[in-house]
Amino acid sequence: MPSKRIFDRIDSIQLRGVTKKYEGRFAINDLTLDIEGGEMLILIGPSGSGKTTTLRMINRLIEPDSGTIHINGQDIIELEQVSLRRNIGYVIQNIGLFPHMTIAENIGLVAKLEGWDKEKISERVKYLLDFVSLPSEMFMNRYPHQLSGGQQQRVGLARALVMDPPLLLMDEPFGALDPILRKQLQEEFCIIREKLGKTIIFVTHDIEEAFKLADRIGIMDDAKLVQIGTAEELIFHPANDMVASIVDTGKKFKHLDTLRIRDLMTPLDNKYVHAASLAVDEAIDSMLAKDIELAVVSNGNEPVGIVRLPDLMRLGETSDTIGDHAVSVPSFASDELLEPSLKDLHEKGHSIAFVTDNGRISGFLFPNDVFRQLV
Amino acid sequence: MVTIETILGHTGEHLVLLLTTLFVSICISLPLAFASLYSKRVGYVIMKFANLAQAVPSFAVVAIVVPLIGIGFYPALIAILLRALLPIIKNTYIGLSTVNASMLDYADGIGLNKWQILRYIRLPNAYPAIFAGIKFASILINSIAILTAYIGSGGLGELIFDGLVGFNNEKILAGAIPAILIALTLDVIFTAMEKKLVPDYRK
Ligand SMILES: Nc1ncnc2c1ncn2[C@@H]1O[C@H](COP(=O)(O)OP(=O)(O)OP(=O)(O)O)[C@@H](O)[C@H]1O
Ligand SMILES: [Mg+2]
Repeated sequence: MPSKRIFDRIDSIQLRGVTKKYEGRFAINDLTLDIEGGEMLILIGPSGSGKTTTLRMINRLIEPDSGTIHINGQDIIELEQVSLRRNIGYVIQNIGLFPHMTIAENIGLVAKLEGWDKEKISERVKYLLDFVSLPSEMFMNRYPHQLSGGQQQRVGLARALVMDPPLLLMDEPFGALDPILRKQLQEEFCIIREKLGKTIIFVTHDIEEAFKLADRIGIMDDAKLVQIGTAEELIFHPANDMVASIVDTGKKFKHLDTLRIRDLMTPLDNKYVHAASLAVDEAIDSMLAKDIELAVVSNGNEPVGIVRLPDLMRLGETSDTIGDHAVSVPSFASDELLEPSLKDLHEKGHSIAFVTDNGRISGFLFPNDVFRQLV
Repeated sequence: MVTIETILGHTGEHLVLLLTTLFVSICISLPLAFASLYSKRVGYVIMKFANLAQAVPSFAVVAIVVPLIGIGFYPALIAILLRALLPIIKNTYIGLSTVNASMLDYADGIGLNKWQILRYIRLPNAYPAIFAGIKFASILINSIAILTAYIGSGGLGELIFDGLVGFNNEKILAGAIPAILIALTLDVIFTAMEKKLVPDYRK
């Protein structure tokens, strides 16, 4: 019997005062956490800090002693457990593939239980295997033990995606892999993630993995959520020494104070520059043709600000020029020191800045990207 | 002089007893093993009883049914059952219950119910153990079915005991050789069946 599709997309997940005790000790202590639809939240923290417990409460493998969990405003306690789980993809470390089933059977199991016909299952399995870069004709009929660890982990992901769930829970999915393979899978996952557009809650022990993949990072310690925020926020404003030591500010960014902006700026390509006098609809055409989402608005050689493609498209019918809609952004000289500029950008909440050479724009500074390069 | 008809007749009786007992013991053991999986108490009682039956010598089990239910085919069947249940129950139970815990947990996490976990996870993982149990039980049945000739089950045991009493080597061999052949055949058949039914998913 097919389960109900409970949610097509995630708008929000809210944990409110969630508490779980085992033998008098807190596994989760009064946890309040908001997860936004479409974001990738990574939980990190010492062993036993409650990361897995948090994850498993969301698919109700663990029921809280007190507190509530809402998905899209709906209390999950009122949802049918099987339906809830079929609407959530679950990936765990290591084991998880059923050794007695072929790869195709492993991926297709839930679809089979949901009553899909053979052809539809086989089509879906093929699609998913190709999606995780495993040629389907090569892997369909193999057994898990005939696959490498990385290949098994890819199958694990494909299996979690079979019902196209809007939410993915991933508990140290790359934890058991050797460092190089892990890096490689992280890269691949970065790309896959964009295509998936799913809400993902991901547990790891590896801060670099968190920096690379996360939209936001939640730091857990001793059954509590200590701090949650972007990599940048955690690095520049750690809530305490524990957070600071996890994000490793001292070590990783030791060289930061010597870096200058030009070292990490993204050089400007001329295709980004558009005249302020350009009409909005012409600018849209131009940006679509050049496959860019952002344009620098310039008045002669003077940069005025930026416009973003989605914002322009949202304007609808208009006779305005892009100069009318340009958003000003901070500007730094390329020989300035990087660290104070980043701090400044962060404090003002900017995600982009111009870099200038003798008053002429020569590049962009994307603070988020800079962090990715540094860590 | 032992005629071929005599041998075939006794072999037939032996096989009927063997196969009936095997069939009945499978029918009883499997549900009991499943039951022990879901109730610790049931499991405890069944295992205690099965271990006890195992500890008693086969010949004593055969003897003890006589004062209780007499002699003949059915008392023989029951005596053999008492010994044959254990290997199947024990192996099935162990096969079903020693499935990797995180695998079961994961199955739970993707929304499989108890029945589906039994059907798709536990049972296939237990096949090799269940087969080994049934194979062992069938060989055990084959040998005890010789002993039950003492309590009137007929079969190959009758030839052997007659031969032993009358110092008739021909009769002894006429009973013993088919019994040995049956044991070997059972082994071959079950090994072949296991190969066919259990995919080679292990390293
Ligand atoms: N079933 C259980 N029975 C008793 N204690 C438990 C149980 N599950 C978890 N705990 C305890 O709850 C605490 C939090 O466990 P949890 O698995 O959430 O930690 P974690 O952050 O995922 O750790 P790790 O990084 O080692 O995976 C730990 O102290 C753990 O020992
Ligand atoms: Mg954990």
